[in-house]
Amino acid sequence: MIFNSLPFLVFIAFFLPVYFHLRGQWRLWWCLLASYFFYGWWDWRFLGLIAFSTLVDFFVGQRLSRTEEPNRRKWLLVVSIVVNLGVLAFFKYFNFFAASTAAFLSMLGWQVNWDVLHIILPVGISFYTFQSMSYTIDVYRRKIPATDSLLRFATYIAFFPQLVAGPIVRAAALLPQFQRDHHFRWDNFVIGGTQVLWGFFKKIAIADSLAPFVDQCFQSPHSFAALHLFIGIVFYSFQIYCDFSGYSDIAIGLARIMGFRFPENFRAPYFSQSFSEFWMRWHITLSSWLRDYLYIPLGGNRHGAWRTYRNLMITMVLGGLWHGASWVFVFWGLLHGLYLVGQRLVGPPFGKWLCAVGMPAVGRRLLNVLIVYTLTNVAWVFFRSPDFGTAMAVFEGVSDWSTFSWSLVINKFQVLKGGLLIALLLWVDGTSMRLNWQQLIWRKPQWQWATWAVMLWLIAFFGTFGANAFIYFQF
Amino acid sequence: MIKKSHISTAESSPVAIRTQWWFWVAWLLCVWAGDRLGGWVLQQGVAHSQFRYSRLYQGRAQADVLLLGNSRGLIFYQPEIERQSGLRSMNFSYNALSIDLGRVLVLDWLDRYGKSGELLLIDVTMCDRTNDPLVASFNTYRHWSARLDSLIRRRVPKAWWGGVLSHLFRYNSELFQRALFYLWHSDEDWLLDRIITPRMKQANEHALPYAITTQTYLMEQLATLVCEAQARGVHVRLLINPYWPPFAARITNLAEFKHQVEQATGLPVWDYSTALRGDHLFGDYQHVNKAGAARYVQLLVKDGILPSAAADK
Repeated sequence: MIFNSLPFLVFIAFFLPVYFHLRGQWRLWWCLLASYFFYGWWDWRFLGLIAFSTLVDFFVGQRLSRTEEPNRRKWLLVVSIVVNLGVLAFFKYFNFFAASTAAFLSMLGWQVNWDVLHIILPVGISFYTFQSMSYTIDVYRRKIPATDSLLRFATYIAFFPQLVAGPIVRAAALLPQFQRDHHFRWDNFVIGGTQVLWGFFKKIAIADSLAPFVDQCFQSPHSFAALHLFIGIVFYSFQIYCDFSGYSDIAIGLARIMGFRFPENFRAPYFSQSFSEFWMRWHITLSSWLRDYLYIPLGGNRHGAWRTYRNLMITMVLGGLWHGASWVFVFWGLLHGLYLVGQRLVGPPFGKWLCAVGMPAVGRRLLNVLIVYTLTNVAWVFFRSPDFGTAMAVFEGVSDWSTFSWSLVINKFQVLKGGLLIALLLWVDGTSMRLNWQQLIWRKPQWQWATWAVMLWLIAFFGTFGANAFIYFQF
Repeated sequence: MIKKSHISTAESSPVAIRTQWWFWVAWLLCVWAGDRLGGWVLQQGVAHSQFRYSRLYQGRAQADVLLLGNSRGLIFYQPEIERQSGLRSMNFSYNALSIDLGRVLVLDWLDRYGKSGELLLIDVTMCDRTNDPLVASFNTYRHWSARLDSLIRRRVPKAWWGGVLSHLFRYNSELFQRALFYLWHSDEDWLLDRIITPRMKQANEHALPYAITTQTYLMEQLATLVCEAQARGVHVRLLINPYWPPFAARITNLAEFKHQVEQATGLPVWDYSTALRGDHLFGDYQHVNKAGAARYVQLLVKDGILPSAAADK
């Protein structure tokens, strides 16, 4: 089931009143049932997979809490990681590794002819696997106690607002919230409802409106002029941002209405002045997961410059691979790793040079934002392209300056609409760095009434109502 | 229903007001009224536009020659047609316009302006697809046409109901944006004004063969339109507008497609698919540019499909 569909609206209209009526265990059962129904709407056969991950990690957690023997604890952790990553590897990466190995062997002169397995990728597997793993790792590290309630743990893993595309909410943050009943509160309803509406606006009005233009560009880059492709790349950067952050906003808002607090997942990422800042603003829950469970255990920045660079590269490459079983995702991660390393090498002298030539602070900030945004877009081209050939065709097309002309842009109306919507988004993002819109809307009821009405009108006027799936479902 | 004991209203009175049922009813009424008001304002803009469909439905589309096609029908370049033939023209063409939609537009025109004796030119390659998203876009004009309303309701019921629920939603379309764009000036010179790029030419060399696909439904719609137009005294001419010749060579079933059309309608198809040669006449593979359009009109006049203004004098 996807948020931007009629079945979901019916589902939530039925779910919430019952949810607020129930208490204690009954409420947990209702949440679990609803979450499994939500997921099973897509394909009920994969419910067993979630249940399997849940059971494994619950019992590993139980065992970890009962044993003090270090080796045994280590083995239990290994079991959890191997099972979780094994399931992920089979469903998501089996064909990728098989095809890549076959290609590598054929380069060495050995021809292998492996049959490709027709494996369906379970929606959201990367998200709930990471969420589940974070629980056992934190129990192992004694950061959180193991839960003694299978029902609570199963609800935590399958909780429908963030089940299929995050945010990745760690056990330490979410599990305790299941221990008490949340009453209906108007502040939660207003703040959560505003965030849900804003998320719908970002997904339906912005991301889905930009999608057709972007799809055309990446389907046949040879057919379009440089400026057209350039606009396509810029549009993609906002399409993926609005698609993913829109989902996060809806998830966070829904959870807020139900009384839960989820961590922020996006914070105006395209206003970042450095790549490290970008990753503190983009998919925050994943980047902090990778930092805490991969980068820091690898040594982080504690063992000199070269080890830091190595750790950054490993983290970002694996982060790229997390997104999808394709070399273009790996390359995307590699590029971001290089950006982070490059920033550490070039950033300080470049900043000093800008000061030395007398560039004002505002100019420096703008230039940094522009550099980060441009290089992020270079990486997005690989992320969006089905293969390297398409990405190179896009770059080749964009660099053909002879066709960098407005008259050669096709679908100008889509461009104008997209431009208008992006300007609105940037205005909200820009002001949200100084203003807390949620609090403002809550404290001034007239703002809330007007904001909700305006958002509904904007969605009706600009929305694309095709029940298009969210991009991050595939990850 | 939410139990009162579970509702937190500890904040100030403007906040407490949210707990009253009448507040939400009043708010919904305001949202509805705002939607209707916004829809009415936008409708006024559309009604006053110089865009082709606005003119059609506002009594400003008198013509002697009717032109119909998809984006390839836009190459029926009206200023050139009117200059060379001396006739007033009305072009119904639109990007990816499907024949069922085209039929509705032509019949609406005939109801409002038809006198018998008009000429209708149809680029039959528009029979290659249905286009429900575009049908849904015509929500913008459904207020003025029972036929459009019925077509939208039949083909895209969700969009139809969306237009009932929200009047702002009716203007959520590229068609509306074009209507705004042509608010103060004519759309009759809407044509691709560029020359095919070297990259496109190069890409064509490695491109796969291209086939025109059609459906029985589309052929039936074309045949019905031809019959209905002829019954009202309209002279119908079926054409295949020019393709960039190397692209035309990639089309595997043009002759078969032409034969299908002739069988369905009982009329001959005038095939201009390779009539124009020279890269400078094309904007891309399937569309001539302004220079190509002018040359094409010359051909139509020369072949007697369009009358010649010079001969009339």
